[in-house]
Amino acid sequence: MLILRRVVKRRVRAAVFAVAGLLLFAYALWPWTPMARLARPPRTIVFYGFSILGEVINHGVFPAFQKRWADRTGERVEIVSSFSGSGTVTNQIILGVPAHLALLSLELDADKLAQAGVVPARSWRRFPFEGVVNRTPFVILVRPGNPRGIRDFGDLTRPGVRIVHPDPFTSGGANWAIVAEYGAGARSGAADPRRAGHDLLLGVWKNVVAQAASARAARTQFENGFGDALITYEQEALYDRARGKLTADVVYPRSTILSEHTLVRIDRNISRRDADLVDAFAAFLFGDEAQRIFVEYGFRSVKEPFNEANPGFGSIRDPFRIADFGGWERARDEIVEAVWKGQVLAEMKK
Amino acid sequence: MNARRKSRGGHSGRGSSLFPVSVLLLVLLPLLLMPLAAVFVFALKGGPLAFWDAVRSPEAQFALRFSLLIAFGTTLVNAVLGTFAAYVLAKHRFWGDRALGVVVNLPVAIPTVVVGTSLLLLWGPIGLLGKMLVPLGLQPMFRPLGVLLAHLFVTFPYMLGAVKPVLDELETTYEEAAYTIGASRWTTFRLVLLPALRGGLITGALLTFAHSLGEFGATVMVSGNLRLKTQTAPLYIFAQFEAGDIAHANAIAAVLALLSFTIFFFLFRFASRAERQEAG
Repeated sequence: MLILRRVVKRRVRAAVFAVAGLLLFAYALWPWTPMARLARPPRTIVFYGFSILGEVINHGVFPAFQKRWADRTGERVEIVSSFSGSGTVTNQIILGVPAHLALLSLELDADKLAQAGVVPARSWRRFPFEGVVNRTPFVILVRPGNPRGIRDFGDLTRPGVRIVHPDPFTSGGANWAIVAEYGAGARSGAADPRRAGHDLLLGVWKNVVAQAASARAARTQFENGFGDALITYEQEALYDRARGKLTADVVYPRSTILSEHTLVRIDRNISRRDADLVDAFAAFLFGDEAQRIFVEYGFRSVKEPFNEANPGFGSIRDPFRIADFGGWERARDEIVEAVWKGQVLAEMKK
Repeated sequence: MNARRKSRGGHSGRGSSLFPVSVLLLVLLPLLLMPLAAVFVFALKGGPLAFWDAVRSPEAQFALRFSLLIAFGTTLVNAVLGTFAAYVLAKHRFWGDRALGVVVNLPVAIPTVVVGTSLLLLWGPIGLLGKMLVPLGLQPMFRPLGVLLAHLFVTFPYMLGAVKPVLDELETTYEEAAYTIGASRWTTFRLVLLPALRGGLITGALLTFAHSLGEFGATVMVSGNLRLKTQTAPLYIFAQFEAGDIAHANAIAAVLALLSFTIFFFLFRFASRAERQEAG
């Protein structure tokens, strides 16, 4: 009798485990079953973007496009997206992720794709505005009340200021920040602009205490309490302020760069069947509706008049662009490689 | 069980064990217990409704289901492969068996990021074999299959490690007896070895499942990290955390931690029951 009860008990327990396991399995398998698949939209756009684009694409621009497309064709489409540092995205695409479109932080990364044979050289320049979808200036975020009294890039070189900076090897934003720091020095009216640019860059980098893989990751570090100052996209700060989440003050430097973000179409990943959809979304990004959404999320539109819609945009005395330094290829060779890597990093080791 | 515990700690009195136990607890508190508690505290910070919303978001749901499915698949494949490997290594002596025994256990020692990289360099579009697959339109990397391959590699030794010791200790006389009454190799395996292996199989399966559920290093290399396509739960947590969305990250982290606790609870119960049976 006792043995029988024990056997029954064991059987029941085994059955309970089996049922629990089966339920878990059914829960996991559900999206791949034919029933669930029927309900899913048949066509998707695979979109890779650099770190700060996540919200504006997934919650702003794509839903608007989805609606337009459904109105026009009656078809429901979905987006599959991935966002990380611009350099990371570039390397992933070279390794073969199935991206249709990539919005990169800087044209240099598009050049890398061309060099790897992924896209024809300069193919992105056939898009409107030479492939630049939007812009945003580089600013300094400081702790509330600006306890360190930081007013410009020059103040970041003071001893004891701790700076959080994205990593130039994986982050497009970090490359923009380097040109912003160098350019602010070079355009300060000094007798020897190159020297002044170098000195400012060296002073800033001597105070860098933490590096993150992307601009967004750097901001997360800063939010978690690291450092006194963060050099980042204005958009990051504006988007947070709009949601009432900004826990930092924004400092607009006298001179700073406006980053320009380049859209690349990866032809080899786009089937003939999906080409119309992908191209429609690419065109939509440059259209008025998407440009207005970008402004709403804190990006500066390539269509100047739209920028008046966002009162949060700060004024910058001396904004400059990468074209002022001869474009990215020259800026990379002369500023990032020669000055930052060749001189600043070497001098910091001393 | 009780009797054994008493006999082991019998010669040291109650007072003397108080000190080492409290030191151990003090060390474990900040090392293990508090970080785990922090995950749950943060996950529930916004109230249960916010937690529920975070868990229910389509991306989080997908990541959880995808992780579970990969864990089931990994467990199933490695249960078969691992048991087979354990059987071959335990029952057969051949040239190079020692070396093979080391090789199959290598995944424990190799950093998972290296596993991911090596898979990419083999199967990826620019990889040794991957290059040949591209013209055929086949490409396992950045697809669910790539994630499965990575998990199979990383968790391979767990099944083997749980089953092989049992096989090693099993007396061959039962098998021989089965053979002498004319049972085939497969019948012998099914009727003689398999019942004895039950405990090892369950332990190995639970270990494999738990490790697959939490795998990060190799997965991040081979999955392409696509939302709603190849993003596993740990990758989702990392992506949300990097994006500064700590609430979403923590909610899924809490769910994952709970699942692992449950698995390990069963693992320990099972292990202690097996021990009891052996003792009795």
